[in-house]
Amino acid sequence: MKRGSLRWRILVVLSLAAVVPTVLVGVLVIMRARHDVENEVKRGALAHIRALGSSLDGTLQGARRTIELAASQWADAPNDTRETQLLLRRLRREVPIVKTVSILDPDGKLLFGDPVPPNVDIGSHSFGGYIGDAVFSGGAPTVHAVVQARGRTGELMGVVVAALDLGFVRDVIAAARLGKGARVLVVDGTGVPVATSEPGSHPTSSLAGKDPVVDRALASTVEGTLSERGWVSAYRNLSSYQSLRGVRWAIIHQQPESEAYALARQTTRDTALVGIAALALALALGAFFATKLTRPLSNLAERADAIAAGHTTEGVPIAGPGEIGILAHSVDEMAKRISERAELAAALARGDRLASVGVMAAQVAHEINNPLTTVLGYAKLLLEDKPEGHADRTALELIADEADRMKKIIGGLLEYSRAPRPSEPATQTATGSTVPGASEPSAVVRHVAALVAPQLKKARASLVTDVPPGKPITIDAHALQQVLVNLVQNAAQAMSDGGTITVASKPVAGGIATQISVIDDGPGIPPGDRARVFDPFFTTKAPGTGTGLGLAVVKHLVATAGGSIEVADGPNGRGAEFRVVIPNA
Amino acid sequence: MRYALLLVLLGCETERVAPEPIRFLHTFNAEETELYNATLADRGISVEPSRVPFARGQQVIGEILRSGASCPDLIRIDATWLPGFAGLLQPVPPSLRQLDWLPEAAALAGDTAVPQTVDGLLVIRDEATPAPTSSSIDDLVAATRAVRHSGRPHPLGVRVDGYWFLPWLRTEGADLGKIENVGAARALAKFAALFGDLAPPPPPAGGEEPDEIRRWNAHEIAYWVTGPWQVGALRERERLRVSALAHAPRGGQLLVVPTCARRPAEGWRLAAELTSIDVERKAAAAFATVPSRKAALDAAPPLVSALHAALRDAEMLPRSPLTPLLFDDLNPAVAAVVYGDATADEAIAGIRRGWHRLERR
Repeated sequence: MKRGSLRWRILVVLSLAAVVPTVLVGVLVIMRARHDVENEVKRGALAHIRALGSSLDGTLQGARRTIELAASQWADAPNDTRETQLLLRRLRREVPIVKTVSILDPDGKLLFGDPVPPNVDIGSHSFGGYIGDAVFSGGAPTVHAVVQARGRTGELMGVVVAALDLGFVRDVIAAARLGKGARVLVVDGTGVPVATSEPGSHPTSSLAGKDPVVDRALASTVEGTLSERGWVSAYRNLSSYQSLRGVRWAIIHQQPESEAYALARQTTRDTALVGIAALALALALGAFFATKLTRPLSNLAERADAIAAGHTTEGVPIAGPGEIGILAHSVDEMAKRISERAELAAALARGDRLASVGVMAAQVAHEINNPLTTVLGYAKLLLEDKPEGHADRTALELIADEADRMKKIIGGLLEYSRAPRPSEPATQTATGSTVPGASEPSAVVRHVAALVAPQLKKARASLVTDVPPGKPITIDAHALQQVLVNLVQNAAQAMSDGGTITVASKPVAGGIATQISVIDDGPGIPPGDRARVFDPFFTTKAPGTGTGLGLAVVKHLVATAGGSIEVADGPNGRGAEFRVVIPNA
Repeated sequence: MRYALLLVLLGCETERVAPEPIRFLHTFNAEETELYNATLADRGISVEPSRVPFARGQQVIGEILRSGASCPDLIRIDATWLPGFAGLLQPVPPSLRQLDWLPEAAALAGDTAVPQTVDGLLVIRDEATPAPTSSSIDDLVAATRAVRHSGRPHPLGVRVDGYWFLPWLRTEGADLGKIENVGAARALAKFAALFGDLAPPPPPAGGEEPDEIRRWNAHEIAYWVTGPWQVGALRERERLRVSALAHAPRGGQLLVVPTCARRPAEGWRLAAELTSIDVERKAAAAFATVPSRKAALDAAPPLVSALHAALRDAEMLPRSPLTPLLFDDLNPAVAAVVYGDATADEAIAGIRRGWHRLERR
């Protein structure tokens, strides 16, 4: 395939048309897919910590509500020691995560239960209570739930403080099914890790200000995600856990990006591979179809080159789909037209030459005719003076015969040169037709039959006419008569053993022209001679028996009348048929 | 060489330090936060906002100011918290003090705060609902009773809360922190009697606000005792009409710069931006907040002007550090009576003991 060729260019266009959109779409698809997968990863992580957080919230909420109910119950009978002790026992039994429980009066004095560490704010300013920050006792995280105990009148009777064991948080987190490399962390409102999914000890100092995810999680009011330092993080507030400062605890899910986005990478790789394969397939198909598509075009190009080189009739028909087929057909048509035009041009050139020759011949004939008449006259006079058997008589007879033959030739030439032109004024026809320059074929044929009857008899030929009266045709009667006489005489001469000559007519070309056929039973005209029989001086007769101008004159007369003449085999494959087609007047 | 120079220039560019954001602790809701963030971003002011739950605001901010750790440059506080932060705040610079503050806004702020909005309780109604004859509670009750029918059995919107109880308390000659007289119990009894009569029985604790909005949108409420903060969230604001409520509490939101602020000048600069005419006008148009400056009020929608007019005669809460804490005892007592757990006398007695305890402390 040559660079710059049509196929090469189509392939380049197809490649660009396939590669550019495929690459662009592929990149977009990959980016979109990666974006979607990344979002799914983040959504998945959020969903995971929502579920974990819900479990943690549920446990603490349950404990807190139970403590609140107990506080309200105690506040209605704060002085009943026995009932209070019973209530505290029930509370420890019903809420297993309660490690210690205490009841203080509004001023912070212990009334019942376990001693309260001095650093616990009893929440007198807390609008009802709170869950404090985590404290670590022997490494185990604990949190204090502080609940105001208000009586049925709303009066503050005391404060219930319960230390809650957060081991359940650690258990829930540890039992979580996490992805590869993932970890879950719960931090309290100060950023201190309360529980982590990673085994072993974990720091009990605050991560606030050290870990941006922790800072973001504690500052957030709901939930969110963060990609930083190679980790994908999702965080969420734990609504039930709120420090004294109002900052909620947070649960954080973290996973290395390499693990979290493994599926995204795999998707990217798969998408790229599929894209490349699709692209290769598209290019292969493109090359195949380009070849198939350009083959007729290449053939057309070759055909065009051949036409340009003058070989208009070479090559087999070019087939192609759709417009290419139409184009191929058009090129074939064009080649045919060019061929016809070339033939026409050649014929015209030949005709011009012949016309020049005819003019020159007519002039020559005119100049020769007079001296030849003199020669012939004197030859005949001398013959009259010579008795039979005179030694000069044979020579004189030969001179007279040859001179006579020369006069006939000259007569033919003059006739050829004097053939009427369409622009010439019409003459009265033999049949009395009044149409200027036109004749009625049946009348002319009848006249011709009468004219040639003696010759046909001599040649033992019979004439059959099948020319019904019809429309006049655009050739004057004299010219048509000359045409038909020539054709009938030729036919008679061709049938050395006699035979039948048929003159028939019929309308052709949708009734706008009339065809007059002259058919004989003779040996016919070889196909190789058919193109030349109308050339002047071409003859197949024996030397001295024809001038070779008869059919040339016929063709000239017919063409002058706007008609055409062709020769073909006879209807039965025998003889010859001359078809003269003249337009109707 | 040229590339080396370019790299040096690029390196210098990347090392340019971004302006340190102003640390701002606030109690805005989500919509307000969005508006202020957008406004400040438009003005090229870098702010690092932190939101504090309003219910815990006083306690959280107080702890931060007392500890000095993670101290913000500017804080938005409720006006009732201001006395509790005495000695922890910087005085307002003269350039801000001389601005065209509304008198009632300036009264809230004092010397250590810049007022941002004025709020309080008032009565809103639809334009098709007749206005009460006067601002008195009796006329409000009479007007409500006049529009009650079987399709709207509870046309009064009022919340089971000590703040909403204050007009009734004050009408009977008592006040927050002053319930020694017998009028307090009578006020509480009257207030509690509204629920199930003109006002619907209260929903479970915590569900009052959504229930109020639902009932207002369903046209079940004819007269709604509420504040400007609620009006901003309502539909068809152009149909709202506003009336004053006698003895209603008046409050507001203030901007303060703590003494522990690392960049107090930046804090005041942000305060000036947040109280600029343009920002206050935007907030008034968006949320129907009553601005603190005269020019902003002049440019505010008619509804905001009506809200301001209705609050003009409202009474400030006692300027005491104990004031917010008084509600800690008042709220559950009011609820106890409304829910029928206690009589008004019992509840008032309990409140009295609780407040005495606070005063002792």
